[in-house]
Amino acid sequence: MSTRVLGQSVPKKDAATKVRGSRRFPQDFDKEGQLYAKVVWSESPHARVVKVDTSRAEALPGVVKVITAKDVPLNEYGIIIQDQPVLVGEGDKVRWLGDRIAMVVAESEKVAEEARRLVEVEYDPLPVVSDPREAMKPEAPLVHQERGDSNVFRHIKIRKGDWEKGFAEADVVVESYYVTPYVEHVYMQPDAGIGYIDEEGRVTVISSAQWPDHDLRQIAPMLKLHKEQVREIVPAIGGAFGGREDMHIQHLLALCAFCVRRPVKMVFDRHEVMIRTGKRHPWYVKYRTGARKDGTLTAVEIEIVSDSGAYASTTVPVLEAGTSFAAGPYVVPNAKVDSYAVYTNNAVTMAMRGFGTTQAALIYEMQMNKLADALGMDPVELRMKNLFHDGSIGLTGHEMPEGVGVEATLRQAALAAGWKEEDGHWIRPELDAPSAPYKRRGLAVTCGVKNVGYSFGSDDKATVGVQLALDQAGQIERVTVLSGACDVGMGAQTVLAQIAAEALGVSYDQVRVAMVDTLKVPDSGSCSASRLVWISGNALVRACQEALRKRDEILVAETGETSVETEFQFRGRSVKPTGPYDPETGMTVPHFAYGYAAQIALVEVDTETGETEIVKFWAAQDAGKAVNPGMVKGQAAGGVHMGVGYALTEEYIQQEGVPKTSYLADYYVPTVMDMPKEFTSLTVEVPDPTGPYGAKGIGEMTTLPTAPAILSAIHDAVGVWIDQFPATAERVWRAMQRQK
Amino acid sequence: MPTLEMVLNGKEVSIEVEAGDLLAPVLRDRLGLIGTKISCGEGECGACTVLVDGLTVTSCIYPALKAQGRDVTTIEGLGTAGQLHPIQQAFVDVTAPQCGYCIPGMVMSAKALLEKTPHPSEEEIKEGISGNICRCTGYYQIVEAIKLAAQRMAEEGGAP
Repeated sequence: MSTRVLGQSVPKKDAATKVRGSRRFPQDFDKEGQLYAKVVWSESPHARVVKVDTSRAEALPGVVKVITAKDVPLNEYGIIIQDQPVLVGEGDKVRWLGDRIAMVVAESEKVAEEARRLVEVEYDPLPVVSDPREAMKPEAPLVHQERGDSNVFRHIKIRKGDWEKGFAEADVVVESYYVTPYVEHVYMQPDAGIGYIDEEGRVTVISSAQWPDHDLRQIAPMLKLHKEQVREIVPAIGGAFGGREDMHIQHLLALCAFCVRRPVKMVFDRHEVMIRTGKRHPWYVKYRTGARKDGTLTAVEIEIVSDSGAYASTTVPVLEAGTSFAAGPYVVPNAKVDSYAVYTNNAVTMAMRGFGTTQAALIYEMQMNKLADALGMDPVELRMKNLFHDGSIGLTGHEMPEGVGVEATLRQAALAAGWKEEDGHWIRPELDAPSAPYKRRGLAVTCGVKNVGYSFGSDDKATVGVQLALDQAGQIERVTVLSGACDVGMGAQTVLAQIAAEALGVSYDQVRVAMVDTLKVPDSGSCSASRLVWISGNALVRACQEALRKRDEILVAETGETSVETEFQFRGRSVKPTGPYDPETGMTVPHFAYGYAAQIALVEVDTETGETEIVKFWAAQDAGKAVNPGMVKGQAAGGVHMGVGYALTEEYIQQEGVPKTSYLADYYVPTVMDMPKEFTSLTVEVPDPTGPYGAKGIGEMTTLPTAPAILSAIHDAVGVWIDQFPATAERVWRAMQRQK
Repeated sequence: MPTLEMVLNGKEVSIEVEAGDLLAPVLRDRLGLIGTKISCGEGECGACTVLVDGLTVTSCIYPALKAQGRDVTTIEGLGTAGQLHPIQQAFVDVTAPQCGYCIPGMVMSAKALLEKTPHPSEEEIKEGISGNICRCTGYYQIVEAIKLAAQRMAEEGGAP
């Protein structure tokens, strides 16, 4: 029996409590007898800590403890490379403003705040490494002396075909230099939580997170405990967007509880989140694209320098992912790509919606639109000539698996925006007159592609459990799904409930998804890489099938049993094994699954001020199978929102490692007034035969094409290419003045 | 310590506060009304929006004592678990909330808007929530929800 829950816009599991404000986020929890902690942050982007004097802070009435480096059992951590100190001690270096010297634990928040100002730290300043291009030079000061003699800690090479021949065969070559900005995630819920010792002695943290089990893999060694002696509970999460993949507060709460053996609450304010947490990597990119007169791509040559900030974080996989899509969803026979990850004393850079493929999309789509312009060819037609299809060979020599949906998204978007297909040619629509004589209209199209799940040989796996409560007749009364999949807001728990209901043939209301508590739910991997629907969904479908089998066995045996419990671990490699880049050629099978999108922007640029208004926007995304169409639309609109900020307003500006945009008043997140006046979401379903019910990931894909669509539409309107982003009114205006 | 007396969600409340206390932390930490969220702490994002005498204020920068003798409505003053307010119900029905952290503030801004303008145009809805930042939704489903709520409330003929 199919209840057809799948494909319905059922209300999100958490919606009713969220609209009432009754759902608890980490800052909404309190514990009997709790203390309050505040961090003493680094005051220098690069310096040696000479002396830390905590005596005045400790003398303040109400202060319970000032925790310093010597209190940390193993003072190092990091999501992949353990290159970060938890607290920086005397004699050690601070490498950015997010480093911590101490934590003050006190009876009240007020006392903690006062006491943190009383901790006296003496610094010996070191030269600040603030430009990754300078940091690559042999004479540059080192951010991590102990990690070799260069700030470059990853160089990815792709050498495919004969790129020199490819460029020689090109009729047109487009050459550009791009600078993409530092961007802050701006999840609305500032990091917060409580650390405490649970009733069985575990060091426990209530906090937002994207991968609680992996947090524990970092926290346990830090405290020299076994993983079973630590625990993380994840209640409602107020957004993440990659920003909570690294621990910002979890390990600090654990350390506080470990040191004082009492509950300790800590809440970051927005200023702390802005300055002291990670950001999206800026890229500095040299890009050449060659094509024949008929639009066929012949070669690309790309050099990417990624500002990786003070610590590695996820820089290596971000750069690996971004590099693998540096030529976009297009067949390019010849390629030379060099990507460099470089330490600096700027803010740590990390995962953010797209995981490197957002920067990649920005540059490859700018190139494609410049190429269309240079060839005098319609940009839809140029793409149609070069797009991936099933079996196409990608940049690292791999074959694209079945279910490539990028052409379907492009076609849908183009037709909706008024393009016409005639005799194999694409013809763009005529634009209406602008709303004022001093304004100009422009239209542009872009595509995006991204992997689903972890890549390059990572053993991506998700374990999901199912509990069935049966009535006496063996019918399912209630279902509980057990998964460590964190619902950061996109609706992971709702999707899992829908998939379980579909797989078990029960109603949506009969399914409950357990709260994420590492003690009680299995590790489903991270909430990232647009992977949860695909990989946890795959595990869940199998766990449900197994549960039904078990239930039937129980019935046959007539045991009177009223509960069934199963668990299934699904591995990405069971679909397609992937591997690392070949060190010399870069050839590999990088990813096991993919998602696609295409978007079109119609803008109006004010020629007197340089301001851009987005008049209309079409977003087409390939969901494979839309489990919840309402939520897919929400992902599309949210992805576009982030892309609007990326294109036009958002830039975290630092000078010599010190931020100039550290409040929401000066870091401008688009409001409802800045969004496209008209927005059309078009969901395409090209099934992924390996996805649950054909579903693909879409969370990140929806933001990839947005910024380059807007930026290319600005060019279409006023004839200037803005290659240093965002295209603020000032940058557009200046470019127009230069052009005059 | 001065005493703050106000009508909070229809009930008279009296509480001692310090002169510099801001309304949002008083509501959250002292009165247990956690539905009022703090995000930017500088009145930029609207997550902490509550109504004072029917008008929206950003309670994270609003001195608590300014509410002296006034009528304060927080998200807890709207609807119940069994009977959501029509604005809340519309938010649920069109899948408006994602992470939900901005949503109480959005709902309060919508409430103030519909009190004053029961039949708002799309432009008026946008203006009504232009002080509320959402990082997840792109706002479209929120606008849609407010439109739906206005329509339903007009049909029911009840006061917003």
